[in-house]
Amino acid sequence: MAQYRTIQLPEYLCVRADAWLNGRFENLAELLNFLLEEIMSEDGAKLDQAEEDLVAQRLRDLGYL
Amino acid sequence: MKKRCLVLVTVDCLRADHVGFLGYRRPVTPTLDSLAAQSVVFEDAIVAGAPTYFSFPGIMASRHPLSLGRTVLGIAPQESTLATALHDSGYRTGAFVAGNPYLTARFGYDQGFDEFRDFMTAAAATELMPGAHVPLSKLNRWIDEVSHRNRVAGASYDELYFWYCQWRSSRQRVSLDGLRRYPAADVLVDHATDWMRGLGEEDFFLWIHLMDPHHPYYPPTDAMMAVGAPAVTAQRARFLNSFWNRGDIGPTRWQKYRDEILSLYDAGIYWVDKQIGRLIKILQSLGRWDETVFAVTADHGEEFLEHGVRYHSPVHLPEELIRVPLLIRAPGLGAAKIESVFSHIHLAPTLLDSVGAVVPPTFVGRSRWGEISAGQLSPETVVVECLDGCNNPFQVKDRIRPRLLAVRDREHMLTIRFGENRETFSSVKEGRENEASASAKKKYAQFVRRAGEHVKLATRNRRSQTAMRARIRELRYEGGSGIEMEIGPKTGG
Repeated sequence: MAQYRTIQLPEYLCVRADAWLNGRFENLAELLNFLLEEIMSEDGAKLDQAEEDLVAQRLRDLGYL
Repeated sequence: MKKRCLVLVTVDCLRADHVGFLGYRRPVTPTLDSLAAQSVVFEDAIVAGAPTYFSFPGIMASRHPLSLGRTVLGIAPQESTLATALHDSGYRTGAFVAGNPYLTARFGYDQGFDEFRDFMTAAAATELMPGAHVPLSKLNRWIDEVSHRNRVAGASYDELYFWYCQWRSSRQRVSLDGLRRYPAADVLVDHATDWMRGLGEEDFFLWIHLMDPHHPYYPPTDAMMAVGAPAVTAQRARFLNSFWNRGDIGPTRWQKYRDEILSLYDAGIYWVDKQIGRLIKILQSLGRWDETVFAVTADHGEEFLEHGVRYHSPVHLPEELIRVPLLIRAPGLGAAKIESVFSHIHLAPTLLDSVGAVVPPTFVGRSRWGEISAGQLSPETVVVECLDGCNNPFQVKDRIRPRLLAVRDREHMLTIRFGENRETFSSVKEGRENEASASAKKKYAQFVRRAGEHVKLATRNRRSQTAMRARIRELRYEGGSGIEMEIGPKTGG
């Protein structure tokens, strides 16, 4: 079962967000979920690591590591 | 000491081997050739990335294009650039960009500019959005799908459809001006002139980005005549561009019209050259020329079947794409030719140093102004990178691709295609691959180490605050339908 954490946001910001949401998201929680998921997305990071590993292997083959 | 003004002219798709001062025989750049005689000319200037969206972070922010992570495109919010540094030094700053959708406020290029004009029309802005291309009619889509179940039938359909479209369009009256997708160089110079005239005696930084050599190639008729090519009608130019753009045929057939296409391309360069001449005359008439550092370069080159491909797709990093013209003319600086490799990473700090401005500490490159002033540059190994095959990175999901990376010095280049775990080590001049000499092997190992250091650096910076701000900015445009979501604070110059 998913666990949740309570956070606090300034009321004025929540009021602005509620007005802004306007059909883009159901509620503020959904917006924040979306933002955090997107910002922390590691799709690019997997490729970064793979490329680092590839070069490291090449250097090992050359005797540098 | 009175500050110097700075003018940076960048030309899209301008190859180094298509300017007279670097050896091109066709007389397409008389102004630049004359300017080169009083400038420092870089014979081996290399971009930090290609094409435009991978090149300009190097030019403007002295940063490798993927160093904030591959999902970040353009200039990050609050990132230091040539413009922000000069703006903070009290310069008036103006940019006039000829309708390149990747050099817009959306990608942060307006930062640091008091005046930023991107000349984007609604039509051009939506052309790169997903689904923006006008689909075939339902019937045509059906025929297209059915015919392509068989190779011969599919090829026949493509051929017939192409000629059908040509027949239909031949019945329309068109003009070269009407066909052109980007404002021509004279339009940009006119607007830049109006801006400069309004500055009085204020110190300024002017950036002009010209698109005339960019496909589709529709130069003014005058330019065609001037480069010694027969005047091409608008109809003929449209046909040539359409044929050259066909994705259903290959080099053997494209080759038939290569010379004519090259004439169109060269005429575009000629027009740029002529307008640069006009810009210089205007600076002279305003009494600003003798206090202005004037630099001209390109973001990348263009291919015309030298390797079987056209345009400037990041599917490989040949010389035709990564080696660009660069000249810097500065008051009191004598003419010189720099043979050593010069990376665009160093351009912004060098230009800032040339006008006596402070170089931001975030710049990866360093000023080479002292060496340049002495007429010599120490040898260097440079890095060029892009995302393999990334032709349209408007959306973040299209940027999740393997890297294509090159490490190059004056003699050799190592290219690593990470997605295929394939590499090529070759001589720059002769193009010989995989040299077996002991010195070549040693250099190969050095280049591999450099590649490793470079990739590690990108990995380290992708979670930086700067990278995060850029990723949040991307979310403002999430969905690709132009819905702008005001999530973060507005950034500005």
